[in-house]
Amino acid sequence: MLIPHPLLGLRDASEFTYLGDAALLDRPDGMAPDAAARFHDYVHLRDNPAGLHRELWFHEQGDRSWLVVTRNTLTHEILGAELARDVKTGGAA
Amino acid sequence: MSRLTGGLIDRSAALSFTFDGRTYQGHPGDTLASALLANDVRLMGRSFKYHRPRGVFSAGSEEPNALVQLRRGARQEPNTRATVAELFDGLHATSQNRVGTLAFDLMAVNDLVAPVLAAGFYYKTFMWPRAFWEKLYEPVIRRAAGLGRLSQLPDPDAYDTGFLHADLLVIGGGAAGLAAALTAARSGARVILADEDFRLGGRLLAERDPLEMPVPDWIAALEAEFASLPNLRVMRRTTIWGTFDHGVHGAVERVSDHLADPGGRVRQTLWRITAKRTILASGATERHIPFADNDRPGIMLSGALRAYANRWAVTPAAHVAIFTNSEEGHRTARDLAAKGVGIAAVIDARPDVPKTEYRTLHGHVTGSRGRLGLRSVQVTAAGRHEWVDCGALGVAGGWNPNIQIASHHRGRPVWDEAAQTFLAGPGGPVGLTVAGAAAGQGSTAQALASGARAAVAALADLGIAAQLPALPVAEDQAPDATPLWHVPGKGRAWVDFQNDVTVKDIALAHQENMRPVEHLKRWTTLGMATDQGKTANVTAIAVMSELTGQPIAATGTTVFRPPYTPVALSVLGGGDTGPQFRPRRLTPTHSWAEAQGAAFTEVGPWMRAQYFPRPGEATWRDSVDREVLAVRAGVGVCDVTTLGKIDVQGADAGAFLDRVYANAMASLKVGMVRYGLMLREDGFVWDDGTCARLAETQYVVTTTTANAGTIYRHMEFCRQCLWPDLDVQLISTTDAWAQLAVAGPRARDLMSRIVDGVDLSNAGFPFMACASLTVCGGLRARLFRISFSGELAYEIAVPARHGAALMARLVEAGADLGATPYGTEALGVLRIEKGHAAGNELNGQTTAQMLGLGRMVNPKKDSIGAVMSRRAGMVADRRVLVGLVPVDPAHSVVAGSHLFAEGAVQDTDHDQGWITSACHSPHLGSAIGLGFLEDGAARMGEVIIAANPLQGQQTALRVTSPHFIDPDGGRLRD
Amino acid sequence: MTDLTPTCAFGEPTPRTHRIGALTLTEDAGLGLASLALRRDAPAPDLTLPGPGEWAATGDVAVFWTGPGQWMVEYPGGADRDVAADLALRAPGCAVTEQTDGFVCIRITGAPPALEALLERLVNLDPRRCGPGTATRTGVHHLSVFVVRPAGDQLAILGPRSAAQTIWHGLDLAATRQARVA
Repeated sequence: MLIPHPLLGLRDASEFTYLGDAALLDRPDGMAPDAAARFHDYVHLRDNPAGLHRELWFHEQGDRSWLVVTRNTLTHEILGAELARDVKTGGAA
Repeated sequence: MSRLTGGLIDRSAALSFTFDGRTYQGHPGDTLASALLANDVRLMGRSFKYHRPRGVFSAGSEEPNALVQLRRGARQEPNTRATVAELFDGLHATSQNRVGTLAFDLMAVNDLVAPVLAAGFYYKTFMWPRAFWEKLYEPVIRRAAGLGRLSQLPDPDAYDTGFLHADLLVIGGGAAGLAAALTAARSGARVILADEDFRLGGRLLAERDPLEMPVPDWIAALEAEFASLPNLRVMRRTTIWGTFDHGVHGAVERVSDHLADPGGRVRQTLWRITAKRTILASGATERHIPFADNDRPGIMLSGALRAYANRWAVTPAAHVAIFTNSEEGHRTARDLAAKGVGIAAVIDARPDVPKTEYRTLHGHVTGSRGRLGLRSVQVTAAGRHEWVDCGALGVAGGWNPNIQIASHHRGRPVWDEAAQTFLAGPGGPVGLTVAGAAAGQGSTAQALASGARAAVAALADLGIAAQLPALPVAEDQAPDATPLWHVPGKGRAWVDFQNDVTVKDIALAHQENMRPVEHLKRWTTLGMATDQGKTANVTAIAVMSELTGQPIAATGTTVFRPPYTPVALSVLGGGDTGPQFRPRRLTPTHSWAEAQGAAFTEVGPWMRAQYFPRPGEATWRDSVDREVLAVRAGVGVCDVTTLGKIDVQGADAGAFLDRVYANAMASLKVGMVRYGLMLREDGFVWDDGTCARLAETQYVVTTTTANAGTIYRHMEFCRQCLWPDLDVQLISTTDAWAQLAVAGPRARDLMSRIVDGVDLSNAGFPFMACASLTVCGGLRARLFRISFSGELAYEIAVPARHGAALMARLVEAGADLGATPYGTEALGVLRIEKGHAAGNELNGQTTAQMLGLGRMVNPKKDSIGAVMSRRAGMVADRRVLVGLVPVDPAHSVVAGSHLFAEGAVQDTDHDQGWITSACHSPHLGSAIGLGFLEDGAARMGEVIIAANPLQGQQTALRVTSPHFIDPDGGRLRD
Repeated sequence: MTDLTPTCAFGEPTPRTHRIGALTLTEDAGLGLASLALRRDAPAPDLTLPGPGEWAATGDVAVFWTGPGQWMVEYPGGADRDVAADLALRAPGCAVTEQTDGFVCIRITGAPPALEALLERLVNLDPRRCGPGTATRTGVHHLSVFVVRPAGDQLAILGPRSAAQTIWHGLDLAATRQARVA
């Protein structure tokens, strides 16, 4: 597979390490009153879609950026990749 | 000799080779198959199951029959197709899958009991008694059905890997591929043309005058132009064996398989080719027509007969018959006749047979004779039989496009009713188009034109303008198709030669309801041999379709997967073996330790000094005990560089570390170190280390050796994905600093001799202090007063290039203090004696509470894993870390043993914990261990049983504090 | 000056070098390195900072991009100096980390086609992205390395110092095989 790195262009997937669902970006507040329930969901519950999936990849043998990659799990088509930092902060820094 | 005139062989040179011990001659340009045929050798192998005599069937990589063992000794390679083995001087080949000689194979008895070996016989026959499978059935079957044999010796050859990038990859160097490559290369695009053959041209080389000019002239002109185009790379002897996501292809280049000895070159190279667009011009494979006894040596594909005659100037016999259902057979007859080969007859299945200058019969071939080679075929027409004498029979049943690679992803082949072939369907590899005969464009003119058009279209996709080139005028007779899938009859009619699957086997599968093609394949083993059924699958599907009455389109196909042709595991391995099998990391003191005669151990990728044996020490234990006692009595030095080191800087570095570590770090004073505990988000302990604050905005944290990479990745995740608003920067410095532990009651004395003008007194540099300073006359260094051994100890870090010299200096400068280098074994003993948790305790299943560190999880702040660590189930876990000593000091403690109360039933219900670490403690003079035990803190002094059922051990152990040494920690604070 | 004698990345007193056919491999034991990362609200450093994938010589140092907001600064011949301290002066308020001994630097010289042929055997990178003035982190023999191309006839591989032997093995073997084929 090739991953379209937003800064470095197409790079081979072997340079990357996979983590999983990009929902991990939305970590609950550990000090909130309902933290126990929310962390249960955050740690244990994941969607496993047959189709478009937003997932986290780390450019380990590269620029050490975490990316949010949108991939079709049925076809492996990759529709795009963004810096996770930009996704989290709501736009390009 | 059966050489004809012409051909693309170099008659000026003779190559000597042997087959089954006999020496023969061939010429450059020959394959092993063509050279054997030229020497009148038709019998080349035995079939897989029935050990039937077999000869060459095809002239290409689809060959099912002529599999030989090539080369000898360690270079012996089984199951090599003689049809693609390029002849070289000294080539050594032997036939395989026989007991006795090839002509008199004792295993041919299998053929007599063939009814027992029909479809599904594995599943039916060897089911009982159950115990017989492993001991009797499987070994016998493996012995009988093994095809070739491995040498069982280490592979002496070298292999290589490489990476290529192109705008366009053209797979196949026949008419379509050459036209595509020419078109694309002239446009300036980066193009790779790969072909499995050693000579470009594909099927053009096998036909008589397919172009207006001689084929060799046209190809020579092309090759000259190709050589002048730096943007084109032509890869001969290169098989594209698979296509993967996003235009990534696997290719094997046979660099020196055509040489007697690689001569220092690699044997093969594994290329990973990344191409924006791909043209699959892989041609087509001819179909045969199954009839009774159709597997004798001499019966082969009609197009193969043409190829041998036209390209290699050989014929398997002086008199040849042809069985055809189209004009194809007549084409072969005319080509052979033109070379002076006698045409015994052409048997044409079509009702309206053409008028020909040779004998043509309407009818079917219904049988054959000749034990080790064809002597005659039976022709049946309108119920009348006739035997026609011939030494070879060419069978022309139409052509199957080679669409395997187009189907490697999800592309299901689609049945084309008009062409009566499967063509590449939708859903195949993105960016790949099929051209030429592989796309059903089977005449030479069609192939040339479709290749060029495909290149223009593929490049237009990339925004590159390419012009259609002027192409030679070419023959334009597309193969016609009146399918004849098999000749009905009583005898066995082979469909899959390599796995001995007959029409009867398919009928039996049908009768036993194994009708879907995937079931058919597994029940009969159809298409599961090394040739992947290239000459068999479509015919088998058609036969099944006939039996079920369903059209072929509804019958479907099995899917194709890589590799297209067999690939040696050695080349997939990439060639790094032995010590270079995987990366090795060496510590800065490695060369020094080597010079000291250290024993080394692998710790992940690292090689670490395990212990430093001295003369007179009989076992490793002697050395380790000495090193441990030296640390406890004087001072020892150990390289701890392998611990991960991460530099953390920024205004929010402290806040960031507060969220990453379970305990607080923002409150750490500059110049101080704190032990740090990291949890996973699920609440279990992940890693531990130290966190040193070198400046207001700079920390240096350490990780365990094993987790250096994963913790860095996790911290980057925290920084980029969770809290990008924090002002914090991370960078690994693991390799930059050599870090040495200096431990023991004399450590301060030794360090004072090394550091430049720093007060190391307890007041000046207390326990858990850190500082940037200089050593040995001005070398910048970092000093940490931390202890893993329980002794007064420091860790000193210097730029890695000075690590070896510093180690030598410490040992030398501390000679009078007893300074002793120690390795990982002593390090382990020291930490177990002190009760420090390490990897054995931090195994991903333990909690901070179990380690006695529960209070480190700060409830006043949010940190990774804190919330989940407070889950009821984890809090309820009553197991805690304890020390264990055998009641009888002579007994050992075995890590992994499980703990039970004395007299308790030893089952999981009564399991109270387990032993994580164990060693011999020279300090206590007995074995000791660490383990997790239910309510352990309240059970000091109690005797429990360690059960090690694997070795039948039951050992009585006394529960103690995990701190065998200095439980109050006075030593390390003094 | 310290009286400790440094060792090169291969544990030898002098840098390793090997001439193989048209290529020469040399350990650059003198290269000083320091990493630079921008901090929030820090003033722009007094350095030319190249963009993603780029390498640029600027005055007495060279700088290459390593990640968003991060660069590596090369000090030729600066291995024995405290280059991090120097960089901290040029880039006040930035995160600066000494990296000199974090890496082994192997310089390879030869004609551009020979270097490109070598790269084909080593890295899965499009050669168009490895031209003069580029620096790319990627994998070689499972190790993370920087592939730096200061000029057409120069290539530098910077990899973890502890893995120097593995990296040298990979480079040397590839160069040797290339020489045999050529």
